[in-house]
Amino acid sequence: MTQDKQIKGFAKQLLKMSFENGELCVERVDGVLKTLEKNNQRHQIPVLKAYLKLVEREVAKSTAVISHAGRLSPELATSISKQLSTKYGRNVRSVTREDRSLIGGLCVVVDCDVYDASIASSLASLESSLS
Amino acid sequence: MSSVIEQIEQQIANLQSKTVATNTGKILTVGDGVAKIDGLSEVMYNEMIEFPGGTIGIALNLEEDEVGAVVLGESNHLKEGDEVKCTGTLLSVPVGKCMLGRVVDALGRPMDGKGIIDSSETNPVEKIAPGIIERKSVDQPLMTGIQSIDSMIPIGRGQRELIIGDRGTGKTTIAIDTIINQANINKVGLASGDPDFRPVYSIYVAVGQKNSNVARTLGILEEKGALEYTIIVSAPAADSAANQYLAPYTGAAMGEWFMSNGMDALIVYDDLSKHAAAYRQMSLVLKRPSGREAYPGDVFYLHSRLLERSARVNEANGNGSLTALPIIETLAGDLSAYIPTNVISITDGQIFLETDLFNQGIRPAVSVGLSVSRVGSAAQIKATKQVAGKIKLELAQFRELAAFAQFGSDLDAKTKAQLERGSRIVELFKQPAFNPIPIEQQVGVLWAMQNNYFDDIDVSKIVEASNSLRDFFSSRKEALLTSIREKSKIDDDLDRELKSAVDEWKTSFN
Repeated sequence: MTQDKQIKGFAKQLLKMSFENGELCVERVDGVLKTLEKNNQRHQIPVLKAYLKLVEREVAKSTAVISHAGRLSPELATSISKQLSTKYGRNVRSVTREDRSLIGGLCVVVDCDVYDASIASSLASLESSLS
Repeated sequence: MSSVIEQIEQQIANLQSKTVATNTGKILTVGDGVAKIDGLSEVMYNEMIEFPGGTIGIALNLEEDEVGAVVLGESNHLKEGDEVKCTGTLLSVPVGKCMLGRVVDALGRPMDGKGIIDSSETNPVEKIAPGIIERKSVDQPLMTGIQSIDSMIPIGRGQRELIIGDRGTGKTTIAIDTIINQANINKVGLASGDPDFRPVYSIYVAVGQKNSNVARTLGILEEKGALEYTIIVSAPAADSAANQYLAPYTGAAMGEWFMSNGMDALIVYDDLSKHAAAYRQMSLVLKRPSGREAYPGDVFYLHSRLLERSARVNEANGNGSLTALPIIETLAGDLSAYIPTNVISITDGQIFLETDLFNQGIRPAVSVGLSVSRVGSAAQIKATKQVAGKIKLELAQFRELAAFAQFGSDLDAKTKAQLERGSRIVELFKQPAFNPIPIEQQVGVLWAMQNNYFDDIDVSKIVEASNSLRDFFSSRKEALLTSIREKSKIDDDLDRELKSAVDEWKTSFN
């Protein structure tokens, strides 16, 4: 238990070092990884795993995955990422992905938050209201 | 057919194609009815969360990196990586009069095969108990129909009276008798058309019981006509620990509805020992630190926050009440174990049932010395106080003397008289199960005991004499019983009437 806490604490410190101007910086992450590789220490793999998890979470927080069925204009994607950046108070970049199972509309995922404006979800809510 | 189409068209028209925002997470591990979830950054403590397939869970551990949640219901279909959604609502259950006569599970879903429950209201399962300002002293009686309890350990509306004893000593029987008695009183009161009459509705919460026991209780309540005033919340032994942990709070939420709407309700928690064990199981699986007897540190708070919800509220808050009869099972009569001492200190008194008395045929096996009601005497009706004021002391003295008298043969006249009287009182208080006695009959019989009408009757015939006197009262002196019930005290007129009635009975009994 204590060892787990120590590993998580160390990984968090590494994550702090990976920020520049409040944002995750690729160069700094690279630097952290190189330093870790050079100074091989105890619990290297668990520390790396914990660090990876934290970095993934940070990346997810700054990425809006826009799933869409049909065509999505680049202007709309830019507008969505701009609005989300304002909402979350950090730079949110957008990644688009086509998903035909949505039937129509789009679904935006930012970390834990899901904004669903798809036909598939409307149909699912209609189904539950009828049952 | 056309109406169905119209209905569907209307539902489609009402359907809004707006963006739905949800907070989600992913299952990391799942096992023993507990899931660890990554994500759910906006989840609240005790919030309902939705697993795939419509399964509901409650978020109980909000940790730095993950959320620990208990799954309510089947968890076999859940797997790592499944999406979990926040619902934004605290766990709530349906409440209201429509629940009466029904058997429901820990989530308030019907399990008696009588169809859906059409409830328009819900109450949160966890709720803060009424505060000091909202409360009022206990001042109205709640008759159990059990002579020894109503006369010596009276219970008031809004009180928490613990029923404690070893297994098989009649704890559930006392609770069921009380529920049956409330139904009997409700029937008489509602039939009388008295506008001031306040019926008492009952909630029986079965935690970790065998399904056969719950079915037997249900059968008894149905047979005695008490089910129509009762809600049964069942989380049997086969249910998950999470459901067993929730069931008492569900029952309390239903009882609180009656209290907050100006009505009186009675809730039986059968039993809190199993509830504590279920909570221990859940806490250990959630990896919460364990303390004494492996119970988590907040096991006292588990029961205190539940029992504090039973209260008598003042006129400004509806003037309702919720009386609680929690049950605790002891091991070898050990009252000083962890959970019994916790619950004893929370409640306003306890009825202790002794195995020895039970085996001697003294049923209900109430131990007079160890039983107490801390607030109930303020609610006892004057008539009972007049006829039973000294009985508890006499009976306690008798138990002590009876133990002492075994060692000596020569006893003085006073001691002999005390023993004679004590043995008669013990016989008088014997009462068969599921046969509560109306308070006016109890007063009549105790008046006869106080006025020495049973002194010349052989001890072995006291039960028979008491039954005969009650039959006499109910068949031939109905008016007298009604005036005891209405006046609630024995004045000179009533005293004369009782004397002439008991004299009349005595000649016929001899």
